[in-house]
Amino acid sequence: MSSFWSLWVMFLVVFNAGVTLFLFLWAQKVEIPVLEDGTTGHVWAHGVLRESVRRLPRWWVAASAAFYVWGVGFLLLYPGFGGFKGLLGWSSHGELALHAAVNDANLADLQSQFANLSPEQLAANPEAQRLGERLFVDNCAACHQRDARGNPRLGAPNLVDADWIWGGDDTSITASILEGRQGLMPPLGSLGADKVKDVANYVLSLSGAPHDQARAAAGAPEFIVCSACHGATGEGNPLLGAPRLSDSTWTWGKGDLAMIEHTITNGAHGVMPAWKSRLTGDDTRVIIAWLRSQSRERVATL
Amino acid sequence: MAKGYKYFEAVEKHAGKLGILTAIMVSIGGLAEITPLFVEAHAITAVEGVAPYDPLRLAGKDIYVREGCYTCHTQMIRALRAETQRYGHYSISSESVYDRPHQWGSKRTGPDLARVGGKYSDEWQRLHLMDPRAVVQASNMPAYPWLADEQLDAADISARMRALQRLGDPYTAADIAAAPTALEGKTALDALVAYLQGLGVSPATEAAP
Repeated sequence: MSSFWSLWVMFLVVFNAGVTLFLFLWAQKVEIPVLEDGTTGHVWAHGVLRESVRRLPRWWVAASAAFYVWGVGFLLLYPGFGGFKGLLGWSSHGELALHAAVNDANLADLQSQFANLSPEQLAANPEAQRLGERLFVDNCAACHQRDARGNPRLGAPNLVDADWIWGGDDTSITASILEGRQGLMPPLGSLGADKVKDVANYVLSLSGAPHDQARAAAGAPEFIVCSACHGATGEGNPLLGAPRLSDSTWTWGKGDLAMIEHTITNGAHGVMPAWKSRLTGDDTRVIIAWLRSQSRERVATL
Repeated sequence: MAKGYKYFEAVEKHAGKLGILTAIMVSIGGLAEITPLFVEAHAITAVEGVAPYDPLRLAGKDIYVREGCYTCHTQMIRALRAETQRYGHYSISSESVYDRPHQWGSKRTGPDLARVGGKYSDEWQRLHLMDPRAVVQASNMPAYPWLADEQLDAADISARMRALQRLGDPYTAADIAAAPTALEGKTALDALVAYLQGLGVSPATEAAP
């Protein structure tokens, strides 16, 4: 706030407060002329209503004075009187910094306890579970869903199965979260719809899913293009984020022929955003532990 | 006649005078609280990295306004811990100098969007606008499928850029001339996704705690 506007506000505050105080003190002393009947002589409704003269109630006078004192006190202690910062030095940003510092200290305390725990212990720790689930729901669930079972419409993989497109060790998952991943499959629609159908049937055959055997046999030679990333037997390549095709887990869609044809024709581009500006390494450790515990629970219920 | 009474009588028995004096006293609050901020708002300049919207994002911003996104989404992260922890650094006025009108909003049914840029993939944003339930099962956001079928009108966007230029936004003639190329074949959905993906993406965000 510039000094002009500071003075502007100060002037208005003093003016307003001055007028109010003057009226408050003066008006109580002014004597209102009273007629013999004890009224001012003002009448309404043909004399049915008459205005009498009474002193202001004491509680009203005391309350008004108290509010006045409270207002002045507030302007002394807190920001509000132009550029004057207030005697307490309070600011909303200062309060935020204080609250954030308290919270950060609590979290740091929690994380320092977690740091001593092995991944297995962490996955069994109730507090780590709560924190991990909260972080997951806030950040990851939009794509991977609340139950972490993924969203095949986005190519967001299931995170509680044993299948990991970019590697399932802690280092790989941490890198996936912090740095993000981009899985890029080029479109192969130039093969033509017929050959695409052949290749799609061959892809289904890799996992032993129901398929057209003649078409699969015809598609086998074309798979050489796919094998550059997905491997000769469709075993996948975690270095490229090429999913394994020889299992029953599907990244895009649910393993139906039409979706596989669509993916071959148009390609696929799965994007995992980088989270390093939003999550710390400690956060990812807790999230991974939560995922592992979910995975274990799931195995137990199967 | 009692002392001082005539002054009260002079005011209280004349509605016009009473009205004028009342108006003066009541306006003091506004003069003190609104006028300085109103005048100083014009002196706020963009922080480094905040540039006028490129043609696609400008189109997206206008679609955001047209579809009334602001009725459920704010773009104003307040300086409260619960908000900064969830959404990132609190919003600062110099981030929204090119928003006409600003999209701070005052009602959150959905989450704040001030720094949503880059949080999700383009494909997520696309799918979410076409069919919110496809990505967030519990979402009560309406679907906006018509955006995908709506081609952008380059002449219209160029005209908007020229209008903003006259209002002082630093668009160059070359920026405006390049708009039709940038908007070639783009839909309203592309524009809105581009706009959302740019929200809060600036050096100010990188420096945020």
